[in-house]
Amino acid sequence: MELILVNVIDGLVTGLLLFMLSAGLTLIFSMMGVLNFAHASFYMLGAYFAYQISLALGFWMGLLVAPLIVGVIGAGVERYGLRRVHQYGHVPELIFTFGLALLIEEMVQFVWGKNTMPYSVPEVLNFTAFSIGANSIPAYKIFMIFTSVAIFIGLLFVLNKTRVGMIIQAALSYPRTVEALGHNVPLIFMGVFGVGTALAGVAGVIAGPVLGTFPGMAFVLGSIVFVTIVIGGLGSLWGALVASLMIGWITTFAKSYNVQMSDILNAVGISTPENLGNSVFRDLWTVTSPQIADILPYILMVLILIFRPAGLFGKRES
Amino acid sequence: MSTPALELTGLKKSFGKAEIIRGIDLSIGKAERHAIIGPNGAGKSTLFNLITARFPPTSGTVKLHGEDLAGLQPFQINRRGLSRSFQITNIFPAMTVFENVRCALLWAQGYKYSFWNLVNRSRSLTEGADAILDQINLLARRDLPAGMLSYAEQRALEIGITIAGGADVIMLDEPTAGMSHSETDYITDLILKVTAGKTLIMVEHDMGVVFGLADRISVLVYGEIIATGKPADVRADPKVQEAYLGAALEAEH
Amino acid sequence: MNDELTTDPSKPSQRMRAGSLSLTLTPWIVAAFLLLVLPFVFTNNSAITIMNQMWITVIFALAYNMLLGQGGMLSFGHAVYAGVGGFACMHIMNMSDFFAMFPLPVLPLFGGLFGMGLALIVGSFSTRSAGTVFAMISLGVGELIAACSVIIVAFFGGEEGISGDRTYAMPFFGNEFLQPIDVYYLTSFWVLLSAALMYLWSRTPVGRMANAVRDNPERAQFLGYSSRWVRFYSFVASGFFAGVAGGLFGINYEILTEENLNTASSGVILLVTFLGGVGFFFGPIIGAIVFTLLQTVLSLQTELWAFYVGALFLATVMFFPGGLAGILMMHVPAIKLGKAGGLVRPYIKTLVPALIGILGLAALVEMTFHVRHAATGDNEMTLFWTTFDSHAILPWIIAIGVTVVGLGLARATLPAMKEAWSEANSVGGKL
Repeated sequence: MELILVNVIDGLVTGLLLFMLSAGLTLIFSMMGVLNFAHASFYMLGAYFAYQISLALGFWMGLLVAPLIVGVIGAGVERYGLRRVHQYGHVPELIFTFGLALLIEEMVQFVWGKNTMPYSVPEVLNFTAFSIGANSIPAYKIFMIFTSVAIFIGLLFVLNKTRVGMIIQAALSYPRTVEALGHNVPLIFMGVFGVGTALAGVAGVIAGPVLGTFPGMAFVLGSIVFVTIVIGGLGSLWGALVASLMIGWITTFAKSYNVQMSDILNAVGISTPENLGNSVFRDLWTVTSPQIADILPYILMVLILIFRPAGLFGKRES
Repeated sequence: MSTPALELTGLKKSFGKAEIIRGIDLSIGKAERHAIIGPNGAGKSTLFNLITARFPPTSGTVKLHGEDLAGLQPFQINRRGLSRSFQITNIFPAMTVFENVRCALLWAQGYKYSFWNLVNRSRSLTEGADAILDQINLLARRDLPAGMLSYAEQRALEIGITIAGGADVIMLDEPTAGMSHSETDYITDLILKVTAGKTLIMVEHDMGVVFGLADRISVLVYGEIIATGKPADVRADPKVQEAYLGAALEAEH
Repeated sequence: MNDELTTDPSKPSQRMRAGSLSLTLTPWIVAAFLLLVLPFVFTNNSAITIMNQMWITVIFALAYNMLLGQGGMLSFGHAVYAGVGGFACMHIMNMSDFFAMFPLPVLPLFGGLFGMGLALIVGSFSTRSAGTVFAMISLGVGELIAACSVIIVAFFGGEEGISGDRTYAMPFFGNEFLQPIDVYYLTSFWVLLSAALMYLWSRTPVGRMANAVRDNPERAQFLGYSSRWVRFYSFVASGFFAGVAGGLFGINYEILTEENLNTASSGVILLVTFLGGVGFFFGPIIGAIVFTLLQTVLSLQTELWAFYVGALFLATVMFFPGGLAGILMMHVPAIKLGKAGGLVRPYIKTLVPALIGILGLAALVEMTFHVRHAATGDNEMTLFWTTFDSHAILPWIIAIGVTVVGLGLARATLPAMKEAWSEANSVGGKL
């Protein structure tokens, strides 16, 4: 029971972190039709910038300033890169963001090298919030949960209660109409891209200290974020939330409970064959859930794409 | 009486609660030129899309040469001898004009998905495609990318692609939309020439084209056919006058 | 813009005329000749290894372009098909009885069959749609299979991978493929064969329809073709040739690891293909050759080679979406008009300073990198055959000067080059 509760909290942290990335990505996709491969790279930039700023001005200034810088860079990428490639069509756009992801990783290595940066949890939050049985829950995790929830509420508020949000919502479904109504859609695009990447930056700032700040961090999370928004349904904010939490919990639980495939197969009535040692299927029988935890999201995505191409909450295909 | 080329029975289509096509019965004989006219939003294009299985009907049947088309995919319907053009120009812009037409010939000449035939080696493909290009007067543009053609030329090419496969039922969706007078005359002549002996079903706004081409006309208003008959009869029909034609004819003159 | 390019209507089927056959055969004969004599020009073993690597990449990139360029399908996981083909070949190498039954040059065929088999399975559901859905499925399947490499140890060999020995095959006219040069000719044979087959494929009905489906899937449906099956056939064929490339990789290196499957490898092949140009059949060939050269030359010279390649790639996507092949083919109208000669001088005037400027920029990048990452006290660095102190002020001034002057000159002469370009592409004499 205690372990379940701990896992629920851990999964929630992972899920909400994923959501901060996927929310921006899905907003960008539904507005511009671009799947931004480099989205996780902005998350990485957030972590690195925050680390650099925290050296001079402390963690909190990093949390405040780094996402702003990332957002400005994001808007610049949209303005001077994507907008140019847009005329060639969607495939070159996708390829552009893919190349951008490569380049950002190389640039990060160029500036900061290949090692993990000593970016750590700030002193104020470096204590145990409470304990569940023998498991202590660090305060930083609670801080992460609160930050993400606050951002989600803020996002909902902006989208549903403000004028800009109304225009964005309208542009999600009817970009041409919105343009015809006299709104500056390219500016909105740039803004959404900037805000989306800034959100990724925030995620990077708060995830950097726990997940590690290293050049591969974008790659580790990048494709999972993709998977999340595909599962949730491209363009759906709620879908992104549900899928993020789902993936957060699935992977956390799969990692923490060591279930072997043979146990499952035995449970459904298939008995383990003898002399497994020589069988080609040996590895299938001995697969454990922690081993496949990281690929479960991909399996889920492929299944979703086959049987429900629009995703869980999506309204349209591709 | 022989089997009609195309027969629609009780055809209905709803999008959500909106009923766009409200039960259409229509029979079009072999080698007939049939025009479907009607005001904007009457469901003409939807009707076209139902016949060619771009979307499935809510109820009712479509029969091509007596065969029910229910459940067939567009490409399967095409293989049974029905070909269509689109309201918005729908060609392969990056391929040459010649390639556009040649692709339209492949299935008809039995090449299917073969990867053991070379298209350049086939005399019948090359000559067939050139013959079509000759018919639609685009031989001079043969090796240009289709996307570089003028609008009227693209429409002519689309008609060429539509007839190339040798389908005997040809459906044209507003072939003269957005054209100047001289271009319209050109396309009308072209349609007359290339559909000789075939069944033609067309949606058209230009009354000059309709009355010049069609043997029979159906008037579609709010998803229902309110009149079908010879051009003169339709013109005289008071219901048509009231619903649509009067206003349109006044606008013409 | 191209009205002058229309053909003479009095000669409708001029492409069918005799003579066209010899014209289409010429590049292939030249290629075969080059493949034959190159080892006599570059004789040392490392050059031969690089060429082998190049030809393998050529096959893989051409196979990839069957999807991207010809079929309009963007795959983020194509390394999987090459990898599985390669792993299958390694297992066959290790089945000594079976392996001894046929000569080594046959082995890549098995790689192709396994790649094709996997493509048959994955393609059956992934080719239903093109665009984003296809790209996402390819990514998902790619990640899945790459992840399997550490789980299904029996087939993928875990972290060590699978290694074998190519010399256990049945001797091929007495040859046991002990030397790199033997493997070179084996690889060359396969690259020529595969390239020719893939070229012919693009001339078949299903190959032509792949282009049609790429441009307009809906219209293709109304020509009697199912877009899905057209994509499926392209996908399966592409899987086959990717598998052949994988098999050749196995023969060359005698080991396959997780690296042959992962997303990074899939990304590289996308990069290679796009750099070369997706719009023309020979684009990926150029891409593979240029990329392999860049990789070998640059990685010997600098730690930052991936950074430069990434920047080059991004510049290609932004400014030359047709890739290198696109740039070459841009000049065809000028050559046909007999005016290409007029471009040479403006090109030299603009591109040479631009190149010098870019090298200056690269020098600055290298120096910054050295200052930031070299061990403290190690102030000496060597760049362009010059050794200097990276912390001194003079080298910086020189590098900045070269960059500014080079790029400045290029910028100043750019309008003249543009003018020469439009002049070379217009009909008629000078006004």
